Amino acid sequence: MTTSPNPAFDVKTLRTTVLEMAYAGSTVHIGCAFSIIELLAVLYRNHLRYPGNDPQASDRDYLVLSKGHGVMAQYACMRELGWLPDEAFTRYFSDGSDLKGLSDSRIPGLEVTSGSLGHGFSVGVGIAMGAKLSGTDQRTFALVGDGELNEGPIWEGALFAAHNKLKNFMVIVDENGFQAMGRTDEVLNLGSIQAKFESFGFETATVDGHDERAIDDAIARLNASASSAPKALVARTIKGKGVPFMEGDNIWHYTRLNPETYEKALAAVAGGVQ
Amino acid sequence: MRDAFSDALVRLATVDPKVLLLTGDHGYALFDKFRKSCPKQYINAGIAEQNMIGMAAGLARAGFRPIVYGLSAFVPVRVLEQIKLDIAHDQLPVILIGDGAGFVYAQLGTSHQSTEDIACARSIPHLSVYSPADRFELTACMDRAYKAHAPVYIRMGKSDRGDVHADNLPGGINGLLELKRGEARDIAFIATGSLVRTALDIACERYPRASVWSAPVIKPIDVSQVVDICRHSSVIAVLEEHSVLGGLGSVIAEIASEFAPTRVLRIGVRDRFSQHCGSYAYLLKEHGLDRPGIEKRLEDYLSAN
Repeated sequence: MTTSPNPAFDVKTLRTTVLEMAYAGSTVHIGCAFSIIELLAVLYRNHLRYPGNDPQASDRDYLVLSKGHGVMAQYACMRELGWLPDEAFTRYFSDGSDLKGLSDSRIPGLEVTSGSLGHGFSVGVGIAMGAKLSGTDQRTFALVGDGELNEGPIWEGALFAAHNKLKNFMVIVDENGFQAMGRTDEVLNLGSIQAKFESFGFETATVDGHDERAIDDAIARLNASASSAPKALVARTIKGKGVPFMEGDNIWHYTRLNPETYEKALAAVAGGVQ
Repeated sequence: MRDAFSDALVRLATVDPKVLLLTGDHGYALFDKFRKSCPKQYINAGIAEQNMIGMAAGLARAGFRPIVYGLSAFVPVRVLEQIKLDIAHDQLPVILIGDGAGFVYAQLGTSHQSTEDIACARSIPHLSVYSPADRFELTACMDRAYKAHAPVYIRMGKSDRGDVHADNLPGGINGLLELKRGEARDIAFIATGSLVRTALDIACERYPRASVWSAPVIKPIDVSQVVDICRHSSVIAVLEEHSVLGGLGSVIAEIASEFAPTRVLRIGVRDRFSQHCGSYAYLLKEHGLDRPGIEKRLEDYLSAN
């Protein structure tokens, strides 16, 4: 299997793209896009295989964005791959445009229609089961939010994936510690996510979700494992990462940029203020 | 009908190795033949219907042809959102089987009785809804669903009410099937599933001038055919073991009122849950869907209108 061209997926560029489109469309969900930037950058740069750079190649790997609320981060990566025109970003949320605020599987490159949480995990398990039955080496990655783990089907699918030894399936949990109404430990305490997946029979690891090298190493190590268990990578992240005034402030789940906060955010990303 | 279902499963899976049967831990003896004939194409997804539907979507995306089996109280009703978002949205070729529709699980109570599934399913874009009346219609529905390469919900109700056709339907199913020719300006019975046999019996014995139609395909319905029936009939009586809200009666009434105003009597479950425990026959009677109940409703309606 040949791999796709290899854009840089520079995280500053990706965050800038998210800000540009969020400002153009006057949209929300910036915080949940920023927490998965490094995860997506590493996946697209080093792990996902799209033969011929074709987002619909039948022998591609699958990235299922189950937490559809972070879709702007994925759009930003798809722009790097040349799958989306610049106009899609400048016209984001305009009447008659294609890209929505939550992922829509009719856009090549997006595998599921998400936003209603807990769906993509199961679809990903099904895709992985299909690859196993077909005997291909395709991998499926399902990116879920920690808040999304409230949903029951996640755990139904986890049982199935472990029971059927879907070693080609990896769930990556964006553990940013927040869900819509507050901190996850205040809304519905998840306890140790890694221990939960471990107890379901997954091979697990936890990383700093903003350390690209650590993410890369963890994914490579899990993929290389001889174990037949499905994999779970828990990524500790910061909601709003990259813009100090957004970091850890759940209001950026809902807040729109104004000219002042837009400029301030752009400058923060460009300056790499951490 | 259940033997025909088992045979159709084995036949389709034998011809096409991409056919997979998924069950939510239901169908104990029903799948013996399938499991023996096609063991690698059988997946028991456990008592986890939501995940099962999502996985079926994933398997379809990976090139497989999933046939998902559940009780109709669960598939499609419990998992309606997964069907909508994961399957129907992208027109994935998944066949959904909802068994035990209506009052099949009479003694088990509300959780297993299913009289709202047609209404739920037919409002989802791209999702077809079939409701066979006997083994011949079931076989034709399975073939049509497989060939459609698109999402289909097949409702399987009480399966031992007797054949309504004499033989296989070599031409398949296209639209409503005329079981008894009637005379112009008389009653037309349009029924689906378990009540087709009842409609035929009532018409043959009580209304010899009436026509009787079976509707194994509820969506997409052949609108011009329904309009034609409306124009040639004085009154339409629709029979279904399903709520009068959103089922076949609604389909016919919607078309009649828009294109060919005709009186449409919807005979079905009248927006209520079953009250008592009892046999299938008992529950039909409780809901006025046994033969005397239907006949009385029809007589009352005809005499009052």
